[in-house]
Amino acid sequence: MAASAATSGAGGGAAGGGRSFSFKVVLLGEGCVGKTSLVLRYCENKFNDKHITTLQASFLTKKLNIGGKRVNLAIWDTAGQERFHALGPIYYRDSNGAILVYDITDEDSFQKVKNWVKELRKMLGNEICLCIVGNKIDLDKERHVSIQEAETYAESVGAKHYHTSAKQNKGIEELFLDLCKRMIETAQVDERARGNGSSQSGTARRGVQIIDDEPAAQTSGGCCSSG
Amino acid sequence: HLFICQALDEANLTRNLWKSLGHKFTDVLCVPERRLLEDSRNLALYPSTGRSDRVLLFNDILVLIQGNTFQSFDLKLTWVDAVWQWKLNQAVRQALSGKRDFPLWGEAGRGRDPPVCRFSSFTFQEEGRFKGATYEGEWRLSKPHGKGTLTWPDGRNYVGDFQEGMEHGFGICLIPRASEDRYDCYKCHWREGKMSGYGICEYGDEMVYKGYFKDNVRQGFGILENASDAEQPFKYSGHWENDKKHGYGVWDDKERGERYIGMWQEDQRHGPGLVLMQSGVCYQRTFHMDKMVGPGTLLLEDDSIFVGNFTRDLTFVGKGKLTFPNGFTLEGTFSSKSTHGLQTQGILDTSGEQDDTAEKLQLGQEVFPVEKRWEGLCSPFLEFIHSGGQGETEEAFMGFHVQTSKELRKSQEYLFCHRYHCKSIPNTSYSGIGANKHLLSMAQEEVKHTGLLRLALEVKGQPSAGGMEERYDLNGPALVLPIILPCFYPELSMLYMLYHQKEDDLYCQGIVDLSLFPDVKLLEFLEVQKRSLVKDRCFLSATECLQKLITTVDPREKLDILQKTYEEIEKTVNRVLEKEYSLPMDDLLPLLMYVVTRASIQHLGAEIHLIRDLMDPTNEGGMYDFLLTALESCYNFIQKEIRLRPSWQVLHNS
Repeated sequence: MAASAATSGAGGGAAGGGRSFSFKVVLLGEGCVGKTSLVLRYCENKFNDKHITTLQASFLTKKLNIGGKRVNLAIWDTAGQERFHALGPIYYRDSNGAILVYDITDEDSFQKVKNWVKELRKMLGNEICLCIVGNKIDLDKERHVSIQEAETYAESVGAKHYHTSAKQNKGIEELFLDLCKRMIETAQVDERARGNGSSQSGTARRGVQIIDDEPAAQTSGGCCSSG
Repeated sequence: HLFICQALDEANLTRNLWKSLGHKFTDVLCVPERRLLEDSRNLALYPSTGRSDRVLLFNDILVLIQGNTFQSFDLKLTWVDAVWQWKLNQAVRQALSGKRDFPLWGEAGRGRDPPVCRFSSFTFQEEGRFKGATYEGEWRLSKPHGKGTLTWPDGRNYVGDFQEGMEHGFGICLIPRASEDRYDCYKCHWREGKMSGYGICEYGDEMVYKGYFKDNVRQGFGILENASDAEQPFKYSGHWENDKKHGYGVWDDKERGERYIGMWQEDQRHGPGLVLMQSGVCYQRTFHMDKMVGPGTLLLEDDSIFVGNFTRDLTFVGKGKLTFPNGFTLEGTFSSKSTHGLQTQGILDTSGEQDDTAEKLQLGQEVFPVEKRWEGLCSPFLEFIHSGGQGETEEAFMGFHVQTSKELRKSQEYLFCHRYHCKSIPNTSYSGIGANKHLLSMAQEEVKHTGLLRLALEVKGQPSAGGMEERYDLNGPALVLPIILPCFYPELSMLYMLYHQKEDDLYCQGIVDLSLFPDVKLLEFLEVQKRSLVKDRCFLSATECLQKLITTVDPREKLDILQKTYEEIEKTVNRVLEKEYSLPMDDLLPLLMYVVTRASIQHLGAEIHLIRDLMDPTNEGGMYDFLLTALESCYNFIQKEIRLRPSWQVLHNS
């Protein structure tokens, strides 16, 4: 059964002149790679602690302001157990972005990420912004996945690669900021392709809610290539 | 003393009058109680009063004499304009009150004018609709006005509201049938002498119509039904035009157990239509003056689909394509002879690569655009809104209102009782035989569409400022659904159950398998990460909370229950671990699966989809969406994974 398309803009509220986006980001990765700590670290940031919801570790929200564009980020955690792998599509449908986390000390967890990438590209095409994240860089001595290999792989699948440490709070802010910029750009390209943001066709991903009908601001590709 | 003197005077004057008048007058006018109050011979009239030679004012009538003829007017029905005003008014007042009260000193000038509105009876003589009819009731300025009863010599009878001499407002009209000793009884709203607006007619032949009228005929939306013990019991719920079935309508043939949902013209099926049968078989066809024309789509009980020509008793005729549930297709020319059964020449395709699965196929959506479907039901609402939504007209427009007036209270309460038929109309399509999984999409559309309509009504119903309306606009579905959903819920939830039956059966089987196992084994199997949580009789409160899901109707309440279930899980975890612990999905999902298993809610798939489809769209991507998704993933896991897992068999045997 088709889910109803989002038509009401109430979720975003009226932005004073700026634009407002709502994005859904799904968090994928094997059990012990630290994906939850990563996202908890990001959302627990002292400037944002008031935005933490009741589902404190499974479903998180964060509000950002990127160059005058307001972004509501909803981060969906998933269970890492292999047993529940087949449930993935239910979670990542309608996602704007995916963060795929592996443990740099665990070659196997990187393999899992590769599997996820394959599946996501197959199910959602290029619409979804992929981030491959090598976590636990504080344990670089025990690294089993080479930086070279990981970055080459990421590039080959149109994903971006990041190095983080949840423990030392490294690289996390950059990861999310960069992801948001890319999602905004994708949404705007998508909007332009459809002529106007106001008409949401049946296949349009409901996660994107563009509130104002101000003409799309020109975004240069350059601003998103940093990080 | 004064009174006696005056009474004697009047008697005297009257006696003299009778003597002076010819037989022609006295034969009609002379009655014992009548007394002369004034004679124009004694008190001159203004010249302008016209052609009358003489005017006589009695205590009950006013007589105008002209030559050899006279006209008499009942004082009770006389509204005085100018002549003898004081005297006449007094006489009128006395005639009305039936008392010979004489004005006392000091009371002069007060209460002299007789009331403008009165109660009296009168038989109409002049040509027109009311000729020969007797009216008894309230009058105003020589016209029936207010409540009254009008009785015609042929037995016709109207009881109800009048305005300016015409039936107007609410009234009950009995019309005798020509051939039998029976009546058609209309309980209806009237407008300037004609039935107009919502009404109920109980016909002498036991049929009952509940719906809208215009200019005395059925027009707009209405339901016509005959007695259930009639020879051919039926029920039609749909649109009418000039007293005939016309437009979108639902016809139940109760004898055959068949339902037709589709278009009508001049009392005949005409245009696209769906036919639903008791067996679950249904088809979509085009009709032309009650006959089926062109190919149609036939869905059989076993989920085979036939596209082509077929007769009313479902015999395939001519070219067609039959798709079996396994995906095989048979395309060819079909014929059937009574002795040989079904015959065909064609190609059997066993590749099974068919996209169209009969099971989930939805009918009717494209051919009946939702906004057109119940137009006749919607338009009175909208008209009511456009008319300014005043209380008095509410019932005529919408078939109900809140306040009832005294005398007709009972009948109006009767109407009032039927107000719910308006709200629950779509139910007529989808209850009983209509509980067909192929109609789910149609029903969903109607719930949402009616919701919007109700919203329009709600907004208008709010007298307060614009700020309110804005809020309504933003939160439409959330505000309106709780109001309308209870009316639809039983039928809608039945459709969801039928639609998701196969998945729900598999899920139930999974639940049965899992329920055989003790708590600890189940928690282990679900890979609950925290060892200390793997113990007996945990999460009872969460399980009980989730079970409340089926006791609610509103998707918002259902989502609240989900959230509370989550909170109960977290509370239990915090208690067992003896510390605050935020559950990541690695921990939450297995625990939720455990709770879902133990709650063993039947038809969980139907519940989940109903919530998702009717959920306020603003929740999408939000926490409620997340919780519902988590629940859905548990459902899918139990439905699909359990039986396929060899590991489970190992656990099973250990």
